[in-house]
Amino acid sequence: MNKTSEVALTLSDDIDQVHKGNFPRDIPEDRRRFSDFQLKIYDEQIAQKKIISEFNWPFLFNADSREPEIAGVGASLMGSFFTLIVCLLLSFPLGILAAIYLEEFAPKNKITEIIEVNVNNLAAVPSIVFGLLGLGVFLNYFYLPRSTPLVGGLVLALMTLPRIIIPCRAALKAVPPSIREGALALGASKVQTVMHNVVPLAMPGTLSGTIIGLSQALGETAPLLLIGMVAFINVVPSTPFDPSAVLPVQVYLWSESAERGFVEKTSATIIILIFFLAFMNSFAIYLRNKFEKRWS
Amino acid sequence: MVNEKIKISTRNLNVYYGVKQALFDINLDLFEKKVTALIGPSGCGKSTFIRCLNRMNDVIDICKVEGSIKVDGEEINGKEIDVNVVRERIGMVFQKPNPFPKSIYDNIAYGPRIHGLANNQDDLDRIVENSLKKAALWEEVKDRLNQPGTGLSGGQQQRLCIARAISINPEVILMDEPCSALDPIATAKIEELIDELKKSYTIVIVTHSMSQAARVSQNTGFFHLGKLLEFNLTEKIFKNPDNKMTQDYITGRFG
Repeated sequence: MNKTSEVALTLSDDIDQVHKGNFPRDIPEDRRRFSDFQLKIYDEQIAQKKIISEFNWPFLFNADSREPEIAGVGASLMGSFFTLIVCLLLSFPLGILAAIYLEEFAPKNKITEIIEVNVNNLAAVPSIVFGLLGLGVFLNYFYLPRSTPLVGGLVLALMTLPRIIIPCRAALKAVPPSIREGALALGASKVQTVMHNVVPLAMPGTLSGTIIGLSQALGETAPLLLIGMVAFINVVPSTPFDPSAVLPVQVYLWSESAERGFVEKTSATIIILIFFLAFMNSFAIYLRNKFEKRWS
Repeated sequence: MVNEKIKISTRNLNVYYGVKQALFDINLDLFEKKVTALIGPSGCGKSTFIRCLNRMNDVIDICKVEGSIKVDGEEINGKEIDVNVVRERIGMVFQKPNPFPKSIYDNIAYGPRIHGLANNQDDLDRIVENSLKKAALWEEVKDRLNQPGTGLSGGQQQRLCIARAISINPEVILMDEPCSALDPIATAKIEELIDELKKSYTIVIVTHSMSQAARVSQNTGFFHLGKLLEFNLTEKIFKNPDNKMTQDYITGRFG
């Protein structure tokens, strides 16, 4: 106590906008969002060089807030991460196994045909319908925790499944029959032939299909609104069972806010989102090139 | 032909693709450690026939095989027969070389691995080396066993496929036009190889080349429109066939 120490504080949202020149200062006081007194203090601080601009690191780590100057995407980044993990863990193994079964083992009959048509149709179902399904089944029937990455991941997994199954089947179909015949003629069983010789060749196509499907899931907003991931959450989630937002929903939330400061936050979030999508898609291309093997 | 041991015999073998009949009552005996050539115009059923012998037609849904196929007197055509065991005994080499997109070593080691033929790494190395030697490919690839099998030339790839087929020590090797995708030099090498292999294996080869059939085989069967028109010693077939059609086909009057 009785000690003088220096602290760094953020400018309030309105003065921040003045500082950036977004708010004109020459209009009458009663039509501005800031008073003459605030302006006077601001000018004094400027004169003493106490106001400095620097890179907003806390933006990456903070949770959402009603005050744009301290709001950040930390919570929605973690939310998106958990959601994608849940989605990947469910849709990848299920999708690949379903594709292998349908393409290689399923008997050709009416039931298989109906399943195939449905898988293809599911890929074209509007995503908000999956949100309604999540609301009806996961929240209202199974009572899973609302607004959580767990439920978000479940809903997105349903949406991603056909988007993994379809490219995986196409990749399996593209494996030349001569490879299967070669393995079968050696006395390999059907399962051995498929698992040892066909699936590895279909992996590049499957992996890039999966990543494209996941990056679509990352950008998905509509279904998550319906399962409550649109709620205002001001703590960073630490598990998939904590309420959370995700990046695209954060964009949606902030774009609706009145404060001028959220315009910049919205843009910054969009840049982060697009950066992630570009990164994931490049990774898909890298994987495809790395695992792609030529065969005659 | 009298004192030779019959390895495979088919009786009243009929094959249908859906409603279309592809083979009609084939009765054919294949002799042990001999090369049997099957000749005939395209679409006459030669390939369909040899694919029956190791049950490869099972892969085709609409294909139905009726009749009896006996290997060493043991029936192999039937739902209750384990096809994987049949294919372990009767290997096959295809028209187009189809090495797995794996290393040369793994191409050969695949069969022994899935059938558990090697007890340890040394065993496996020995099997790979012997198979490649028997297929006359060892000298060419011994320094690059870890390189992909698909990087070899066409003729080498086909010999790799032959090495792969003999790696699990089958009793019979079926060859479905093994040289049709190869140049004359590679073809000559495969033919030499077949000559060598017949000391240990029974070989059935489908070919479109009359001269190849004459060079490599001891017995020849002539197929036409799904029927076996003539089967005899190769010499007899080429010099003095009983059937007019055979004569016409061999001399190039149709086909």
